[in-house]
Parts: sequence; structure tokens; C-alpha cells
Amino acid sequence: MPSVSSREPIATETVVIAPPAPRRRPAAKWVTIALLIVGAVLVLSFPTIAPNPYILSAGVVILNYAVLSTGWNFMGGFTGYISLGHAAYFGLGAYGTALLIKYLALPGFVAWIVAAILVAVIAIPIGIAALRVRGASFVIVSIAFVLIMLLVFQSWRDVTGGSEGLNVPRPFPDMLRPEHHRVFYYLFVALLVFALVVWWIIDRSKFGTALKSIREDEDKAQSLGVPTTRYKLIAYILSALFVSLGGGLYALWFGDLDPIFQFSILIGSYMVLMALLGGVRNLFGPLLGAVVVGVALEYFKLEFGDTQFHLIATGILLGVVVLFMPDGIIPAVKGLFTRSSNAASIREVTAGELLEQNAVRSAAQESPRRTNASGEETTS
Amino acid sequence: MSGALLLQSLILGILLGGLYALLAAGLTLYFGIMRVVMIAHSAFLILAAYLAWWFNQQTGIDPLVSLIVTVPLFFVTGVLMQRLLVSRLKPLTLTMMSVLLTFAVALVIEGTLGFLFTGTQRRIPLPYASESLNFFGAQVPVVKLIAFGLAALALAGLFVLLKYTRFGQALRATIQHPEAARLVGINTDRVAGYGFGLGLATAAIGGTALSLDATIYPSLHWHWIGPLMAIIVVGGLGSIPGAAIAALVLGIAQSLLQLPLGPTWAQTVFYVALFATLMFRPQGFFGGRLAQRF
Repeated sequence: MPSVSSREPIATETVVIAPPAPRRRPAAKWVTIALLIVGAVLVLSFPTIAPNPYILSAGVVILNYAVLSTGWNFMGGFTGYISLGHAAYFGLGAYGTALLIKYLALPGFVAWIVAAILVAVIAIPIGIAALRVRGASFVIVSIAFVLIMLLVFQSWRDVTGGSEGLNVPRPFPDMLRPEHHRVFYYLFVALLVFALVVWWIIDRSKFGTALKSIREDEDKAQSLGVPTTRYKLIAYILSALFVSLGGGLYALWFGDLDPIFQFSILIGSYMVLMALLGGVRNLFGPLLGAVVVGVALEYFKLEFGDTQFHLIATGILLGVVVLFMPDGIIPAVKGLFTRSSNAASIREVTAGELLEQNAVRSAAQESPRRTNASGEETTS
Repeated sequence: MSGALLLQSLILGILLGGLYALLAAGLTLYFGIMRVVMIAHSAFLILAAYLAWWFNQQTGIDPLVSLIVTVPLFFVTGVLMQRLLVSRLKPLTLTMMSVLLTFAVALVIEGTLGFLFTGTQRRIPLPYASESLNFFGAQVPVVKLIAFGLAALALAGLFVLLKYTRFGQALRATIQHPEAARLVGINTDRVAGYGFGLGLATAAIGGTALSLDATIYPSLHWHWIGPLMAIIVVGGLGSIPGAAIAALVLGIAQSLLQLPLGPTWAQTVFYVALFATLMFRPQGFFGGRLAQRF
């Protein structure tokens, strides 16, 4: 009977709406490849385009930032643990390289690798201590670590030279300055590519998926059997390793170390700012952020010199990024083109929205049935 | 090492610990109310010290008088900061993002101070700066006593406010259980704003106290934020009595360790305590329920 059928409980009729599968249009793939090629050509040809050695050295600095920020992103991007203290590993890598050359007379690049491995070993106990806590405490520990390193390297005058600074012997003693910049530019490019490739491999691996599950919901990841503590530690050590490689190469390039610069919280915050600005979930996010922030920093240094204006600019930029686009530039720009409104990473629809959609659907399914019922039993 | 020297270090440690306790109480308030780690707290501290110095330089009046202006000013700033900035962050990532946001605020403050007053070290010339009281052979500078008195008064005021007023009850209810507090009719948003203002007001008082006997410069706040952060973790995030006790203990330890180690290495006591706490008791030594997850 129609009256009975119209009284059927509609609430139990759940319509499961699967989230739309991420479709990649073939055009997007070609755009990506074209952008990659253009980017690679630009990066590789920069030393020949650069009008003077100063611009070239600025390019080296920006590449160094890109390496550091990509290194930071091994921890920050995959696991969501934001460390403001990665400058400690930058400084340790740099000082480690310098001290190994000075005291053990190792050749420059051997010292660089050995120092990075030593820093990775140091990162193990630090990581274990820091990763016992989450969120706020983790950030506090990371900041404390930089401050403690600054204190140690400033006070331990006999070994580190203290505030006088430390001179690093050049790996290529008879090279002229522009040539030196050029060689190190390509070395930094190689290091950056290496870091990007490793990040990309992890991003696509099961290990990377597990790390990302920690970022989204650590407790759920743990309950699903992800060995969260071990994975976080591995990510932390990898991150420290790449940042210290960046620091060591910086020491070999720049040739002069000073604790206040090497262990400044500012360097650590630049890494975070660059990665967040570009987008921590994207392979090239930190690189893009490094280019934007690095160019801006060099500009401020040129234009305003010793004033503290770059601090204000950094602070305002960081605030704007945190408040208005915590996902970074790349997702924002992508959103402009693809118009996929649901950028949420965990689930595309919330439970409330799903309920609403179900209600709308079941109402839509019910209403034709009702008209049928009123239109004298066409269905039966 | 003479007994008088030891006694003097102990007294100086207690006096320093009092100032730490006041500032750590402010940090704990922010954390309790909104799970916000306020990196900019010590930047505001230095800002208040600069305002006191500037006030003294312009008018020649005792810097303590500047409190009449700075305390309400900082209170309003705190309320505005909570309402306009912090409350905009998504709740899911609030803790992490608030660290970055307040870090940004700290950078802006440091940069602005450097821009306006340059990086030169400043000190308020006080007529009673070199006077000290003799206490059983220990020389205790008057300015440090005043700073401690100010901090102790402010802490006591904070205690009374939190414990015995209706607003204090509402604030504590908001800290304990925001949803339940809303259910019984507390406007938690407004209370959170006022709580933020209170926290920043402690920075105003602490900064003025600091300006009495410290040489200030824009990047000084990094020397404060480390110890303060260590104190609130050791005390257990979110516990005001825990923070106060940890502040006193670590302040005294720092002061006593200065005798054999010198001032720079003595500072490491905070970080050693921090790492030890994380290794053996991540929830802190006096932490309550709040500290479990952080």
C-alpha cells in the first residue's frame, strides 16, 4: 500500500558518499614536468646568468637555505613536529666540520661527511628526549637545545674560539673567489637534489605513509600498529643529518664561523618559515619558500643594512603565513587551478556534512516516490 | 668559600627566583587557558623594561611609576592579542601554530625595539642603584629587593584574584574544563581574553622590575625565554604553584652554581633540568592533569 511505503523509515537508509577520488588530469602532469625542466634549467644556468660574484654568492646562500629547509621538512613536513631549533644541527654540522679539519687535519670533504655522521649520532639521544613529549614541549625542547649549544660554543673558548669565531681552512686554497662560489653553487645544488630525492622516495614509501599518519593522528596511528616512536626518531635523525650536511658545506664555503650566527634561533625560524610558506606537504615547498624568503632577506640586508628591519619583516611574514595560509603557497596556487574545494588531508567530508548530505539524498530519493504514491500506484 | 658569600648567593637566588616565578606564572596562565605557548612573553618583558627606561629618560621620574601606564596597556594588548590573533588559529593545530605565531610577535617586538632604540645597551641611572643592605654579612642590593617585592606582591595579587574572586573562579573553571564552564554560563571566550591580559600584565610588572637593575638590549629576551620555558616544563605545564616552586628552586640553583662555574655555565642548569625532566618525568614535577599530554 502506498501509505505504508511512504511511512518507511528513511533515516536508516544511509547513503555512503565516497570522497571523490583524487583525479589527476593529464595536463597537470605535463605542467608539472614543464615547470620542473624550466626550474632545473634556471637553477643550473644561474651561475652563468649571474651578473657579479655578489649575486652568485646570494644564490649560494639561498640554496643553503633550501637545503636546510628541505632537511627540516623531513621532520616538520612528515610528522608535523615543528622544531624551531634545527639551527643547532646547522651549527653543529658547521663547527663539527671545522673542528675536524682543525684538530684531526682531515681533508675538507671527508671532515664534512664525518661531521654529519657524528651529528646524526648526537641527534639520537636528543631525539629520544625531545620525542618523549608532543606539541608544545617538543618546541620548547628544540629551542632550549639551540640556546644550550650557543652557550656551550660561546663559552668553550679554547676549542671553539668562542665569540672570536673560528676560521675554516678552504678546501680549494688556490681558487679565486668567483670560481669558489661557482663550485660551491653546484655542490649545494647536488646536495639539494640528493635531499629532494630522498624526501621524494620517503614520501612515496610505506614508511612515509606511516610518518604522515603520525602527523594526522598520532594516537590512531599507534593503535593501528605504526611504531611511532621509532619512526619519529628516524625522521628526526634524517632531518638532523641533512641540516648538518647543509651546515658543514656552509662552513667549507664561507670559511668563518661565529656561534651567534651558527646557533641563532633566527636560522631555525627561517627554516620553519620557508617550509610553511612553500607548503610542508610538497616536495618543492621548502625550496620555493627558501627562494622567496632568501631573496627577501638579501634584499632587506642590502637596502636596510644593519637595522633590525629584517626581523620585523620576518615576523610579519611568519604571522601572516601562520594565520592565513598554514598550508603554504603551493596548495593555495594549486587550489586556484584545480578548484578542488576539499583540501583537507584526513577526510574530505566531516561527519556532520555527511549526515547532512545523507539527509538531502534520502529526501531526494523519497520525494519522487511520494509523487508516485500520489499519482496512483505506478510503482506497485 | 665563605659562609657570607654562600648566604649572599642564596638570598640573591631567592630574589631572582621570585622574578622567575612571576613570569612563569604568566606563561602558565596562557598555557592553562588556551594551550598556548607564548614565546613572546619575554619579548613583552623586555618591551616593558624599555618602556620603563624610556619613561625614566623622558621624565626623570622613578621607573616604577611607569607601571601605572604599562600594566593597563599590556592588559589591553593581551586581550586584543587573544581575541584578534590567537583565537583565529584552528583548534586542531593550536599549540604548534601558537608557538609560531607568538614567535612572530616576539620577532616583531625585537625588531621594533632595535629599530626605535638601536641595539645599544641601556641602563636606568637610579640614585639608589648602588645601595645595598647588610644582612648577616651578605650584601643584598636594594634594587633586587625592590624587584623581588614587586614580583611577590604581583604574585600574591594574582593568587588572591584567582582564588577568591568570581572572575578567578570563572578563569579556573575555564582552565579546568572549558566545555563544562560554558555549560554553567561562563563566557569562556571573554574569560580567556582577560586571562591573556593578566598574563601579559605580569610581563609588564616583571619587565619594570627587571629594568631596575639590568642592562637591557633588544635581543635580551632570548636569554629569558629559555629559562622560563624550562621552568614551566619542569614545574609541569599548566600548574601555577608548580611553576613557582620550580622557579624558586632553579633560581637558587643557578645563583649557587655561579660561585664555582661562573655565570655562563650556571645558566645550563635550566637546560639540564629540562632534559632530565623529559627523560624521567615528562609531565613535570608538579604537573596536574593538563601536563599529561604535552
